[in-house]
Amino acid sequence: MADSPKKVIIDTDPGIDDAMAIFLALQSPELEVLGLTTIFGNVYTTLSTRNALHLLEIAGRTDIPVAEGSHVTITNGTKLRVADFVHGIDGLGNQNFPPPNGKPVDQTATAFLVEQANLYPGEVTVVALGPLTNIALALQLDPGFQKKIGKIIILGGAFFVNGNVNPAAEANIFGDPEAADMVFTSGADVIVLGLNVTHQVVLTEADRDKLASSDGKFAKYLCKIMDVYFSYHKDSYEIKGVYLHDPAIVLAAVDPSLFTYTEGVVRVQMTGITRGLTILYNNQKRFGEVSEWCDKPTVKVAVTVDAPAAVKLVMDRLIKS
Amino acid sequence: MVGQDSVQLKKTKLMVGQDSVQQNELKFWLSSQLYHFEVVNVIALPIQLLAFMETKQTSPDMVDLNGEAGILDSSPQREKLIIDTDPGIDDAMTIFMAFQSPGLEILGLTTIFGNVFIEDATRNALLLCEMAGRSDVPVAEGSAEPLKGGTPHIADFVHGSDGLGNVNLPSPSTKKIEKCASEFLIETVSQHPGEVSILALGPLTNLALAIKMDSTFASKVKRIVILGGAFFSLGNISPAAEANIYGDPEAADVVFTSGANINVIGINITTQVKLTDDDLLEIRESKGKYAQVLCDMCKFYRDWHVMSDGVYGIFLHDPVSFVALVRPDLFTYKSGVVRVETQGICVGHTLMDQGIKKWNSSNPWTGYSPISVAWTVKVDEVTNYVKDLLRKP
Repeated sequence: MADSPKKVIIDTDPGIDDAMAIFLALQSPELEVLGLTTIFGNVYTTLSTRNALHLLEIAGRTDIPVAEGSHVTITNGTKLRVADFVHGIDGLGNQNFPPPNGKPVDQTATAFLVEQANLYPGEVTVVALGPLTNIALALQLDPGFQKKIGKIIILGGAFFVNGNVNPAAEANIFGDPEAADMVFTSGADVIVLGLNVTHQVVLTEADRDKLASSDGKFAKYLCKIMDVYFSYHKDSYEIKGVYLHDPAIVLAAVDPSLFTYTEGVVRVQMTGITRGLTILYNNQKRFGEVSEWCDKPTVKVAVTVDAPAAVKLVMDRLIKS
Repeated sequence: MVGQDSVQLKKTKLMVGQDSVQQNELKFWLSSQLYHFEVVNVIALPIQLLAFMETKQTSPDMVDLNGEAGILDSSPQREKLIIDTDPGIDDAMTIFMAFQSPGLEILGLTTIFGNVFIEDATRNALLLCEMAGRSDVPVAEGSAEPLKGGTPHIADFVHGSDGLGNVNLPSPSTKKIEKCASEFLIETVSQHPGEVSILALGPLTNLALAIKMDSTFASKVKRIVILGGAFFSLGNISPAAEANIYGDPEAADVVFTSGANINVIGINITTQVKLTDDDLLEIRESKGKYAQVLCDMCKFYRDWHVMSDGVYGIFLHDPVSFVALVRPDLFTYKSGVVRVETQGICVGHTLMDQGIKKWNSSNPWTGYSPISVAWTVKVDEVTNYVKDLLRKP
């Protein structure tokens, strides 16, 4: 890489595919990981923090700070749905790993995000793998955050396809719809990858076997924790493979050209049976009257992905570790 | 394919008749513009069909090849239909198309707000029947407002202030019937259980009221073909919602979850089927019975399409739904539970569970009967079907 690596903060709720995404980021010379911020989602925030510290210890990267994020939604919601049936009770495939030695930094995730954005204005990319509470809080804490942060690349939403929490909603947006709507309409440079794209990036059983038989340190570790994730996909989607949701988001930071995008206004439904629904309006039609999508800042929404190239890149980097 | 199988079935049955009957039957058969539609009926009403064939054997000259009103009114093979409508320029087109279809027995029109307020919808429905020489068809006025009350949302910027393109049409000389739309729907469907289809072209308030008032309505109606919703695509009243569903989201949710046999045609389908300016000119220059007046009305509608969608022509929302009723073979469908959002910024959004994922806990879609959502359309064949009917003398 001729350019200096892209500074990234990974906002994460590990999570099996988060683990994969974090390792992928650490193995990518294009990226410099400034820190991990944690959030509820796949697991509760406390466990996210513990898992983030654990994964950095596995990677031998305890130099990277972990800042713990919000335990509740932006509206102080506490009845949070966690996905232990997807990732295991411990979030990492029920492996009973010993507790990490390290501790999170004293700063909150929000404070860390604001600090880094001010330290490197326009240079920091946030890779957001969970509900968007920490980022929404950063927008509230620092009114200039949306200008100072470089890019926010988000795993979230389901554009013109069914959700994965229910037919309407994708899990990360469902986790904090109000926060998501704030981030999408903040005016920051936002890139969103929804289920319509990430469901195309599938790691097959054959791929897993290849990872397992490799000498890659991360590849071997991930194969140990992935059984639960494979079972979940088999039960829920009747596929013999797993969706690489979170790794796809890291890839969008590593190599944006793997995806194509459309630009438009994204709003999030906050009430009713479709709470968490993401609706994109990209100006292909003019409406007779004013809508909630009018005069709002736009975001980029991924439309296509070169899935074979994406899976290959993930595999290559995990094997060479 | 249901259509293909039943063609065979019908042909087989024809072979058992007398030669003269066969010829007449086949002549009728081939001349009918509702070929496939009647074929579908073979499966639904085999006993009635055989009875019909008996009748033909004794008096084969009763077959009306021109499809004009009257002679065949009581023939059991014709599809009994009520059109629930908010005319509306594409409604007018659809109503005339229905009158030009000999395989249909139009039992009545019920009116609803939508493109226009209810008074205008009723006036226009009466006027359209009169223009078609079909003032015998009862018009029952429907609800003036959505289930939750309040002034309805009217699309006069699409259809003109009179709903029919502001072409100075006269007032009708006939009157609506005493019964309201939901009463008429319940009565008519109860008189012919399992036989009456409904083509719903506007907000679904009347149907929801019928379902709420009569718990057997949903099971007695043969089929409801609905123009409504935007499935996995952009709406037309907002990015989230299509106009008919937006007009009464609560009613739409009642109808979609009622358990009735429903085919819903969303604007993801109907916006694929257009009449271009050239098509409209071709229709105007044809000998079509209603070609002139429809093309006059269409001017306003067409100009709105240019402004709103950059389309030099018109979308055939209501006519496409009509074709889905009479020619289901020109569409494919996916089955799934559909719910309607009734709150928030996405009010009126239609959301179908495609059934790709097995949910590990219940959600608002769980436990309801699936309906058939139009998934693909044979665009050229539907366009030609519409054009042929509009050019029919």
